[in-house]
Amino acid sequence: MREVAHRIAPAMGRAFVAVYPLVLVIVVWEAVARAGLIRPLFLPPFSLVVKQLFAVVSNGELFPPLATSLYRTAAGLLIAGVVGIPVGFLMVRSRLVSWFFEPLVALGNPAPKLALIPVFTLWFGIDNVSKIMLVALTTVFPFILSAAQGARSVPISQVWAARAMGSTEFVILGRVVLPASMPALMSGLRVAVPTALLTTFTAEMVAGGGLGGALVLAQRYFESTTVYAYLLVMLLCGYILDVELLRIRHRVLRWHEG
Amino acid sequence: MSKGLQETLFGAAARLTPILICLALWQAVTSLHVADPEFLPSVGAVLEAFYDLAKEKTIFVELGVSLLTAGAGLVSGILIGVPLGAVMALSKGADGFFGPLIKATYSLPKSALIPLFVLWFGVGGITNVLATVLTTLLPIVIYTYHGVQGVPRVFVWSAQAMGTPPATLLRRIILPAALPAILTGVRIALGFAFIVTIAAEMIVSNHGIGKLIFLYGDSGAYNYMFAAVITIVSTAFVADWLLQLATAHILRWQDKAEQHA
Repeated sequence: MREVAHRIAPAMGRAFVAVYPLVLVIVVWEAVARAGLIRPLFLPPFSLVVKQLFAVVSNGELFPPLATSLYRTAAGLLIAGVVGIPVGFLMVRSRLVSWFFEPLVALGNPAPKLALIPVFTLWFGIDNVSKIMLVALTTVFPFILSAAQGARSVPISQVWAARAMGSTEFVILGRVVLPASMPALMSGLRVAVPTALLTTFTAEMVAGGGLGGALVLAQRYFESTTVYAYLLVMLLCGYILDVELLRIRHRVLRWHEG
Repeated sequence: MSKGLQETLFGAAARLTPILICLALWQAVTSLHVADPEFLPSVGAVLEAFYDLAKEKTIFVELGVSLLTAGAGLVSGILIGVPLGAVMALSKGADGFFGPLIKATYSLPKSALIPLFVLWFGVGGITNVLATVLTTLLPIVIYTYHGVQGVPRVFVWSAQAMGTPPATLLRRIILPAALPAILTGVRIALGFAFIVTIAAEMIVSNHGIGKLIFLYGDSGAYNYMFAAVITIVSTAFVADWLLQLATAHILRWQDKAEQHA
């Protein structure tokens, strides 16, 4: 019994050290709001925000917009991956592809693509498609760049060996270049996922729908607790996705790091 | 010499060709009436709109507002972020306090804070700058932190052995050694600064190029909308290019060191 306590106490201590600044911020937040130092319209007490979060969860108000936003994010990422990864690989394997795409990537990657929100609304309508295409456009560049970086890291001897054994270019891409590029691709995914969330939520704040639209509506009706509750949900979305990605990365790359 | 120039020109032409091909495709699609000119105005119509906007100077005024917001955000982000990142890397206590806060806010899509800031500070002005500061802060803090942590211990030890006071150590040894990483962070932050500035202007604002794009899109003046989009995209490209030139100039000692090695 004492041995268990000995082992648990330091672990709990470490856990506390890891989160104490967050606890401190929440305590100060609650105290300042309860003491009436800031009007509740600007900063409602944390406890009321959490209560409101539970309310929107239990009355089902949260899930339809959240599901819409996550669907748009995922669909856009999927398109970007399907297009971007082959383009990135081919940019390394073919001089023609590289000649054509390299200037376009150099121009498109730093461009603030959120400026295209009204353009995409015009082209693809106000609903899902315009948001999905915009997410695909903003996240295709991290996929292209990380795939190219991964493909460049493949030792040329491995490509020669595969070719000597009679592998076609297609097989080389799938069986040699792709596995060797996994570490770079996972890093690219860690850039692409937060970018995708940012794009979805921002496009929704401008053009309506989803969690972003719900957030703007709550702000227009001055429902501060709901605004904070939705912000908390967005933060949790980003955090959970990042933690999951790290876990998947660890699993996928076990052979690489081990 | 002239051969070198010829090669440079040839390289530039080779790089421009794909972009020109895309422009030609655009023009072909519009002049062959494959696409509805309402949906995709011709290159000529967009150039005309750009000429109009330039003549009335609206585009420069609004672009100026956006550049001021993005610039103020980026500069404040650097002024706060570099010291904060350096302190976190050098002090365990600061790392323990700010580390979890940064980790917790890192994954929040920063543009989501814009409606909240509107509640606090009203439309435009401070709201847009503050959203930009918060967005640019994180990459700068993180890259500075890793840069300072990555300074070889030997540099620090040798300087200390020669009796260098801590302030000089920071200014002459640690910051120069961390500079490449810091500048990488600044480049990422520059991209974010443009994105969040435009996002803030589109969500709620009375000024800026984002607002202009949104208004033209809403009123159906699509050739003007495209002209404004192209203006901000090329501005961001030029800003990124200038930053790369500045980075190459600031880090010119680094390349030389590598050549000697």
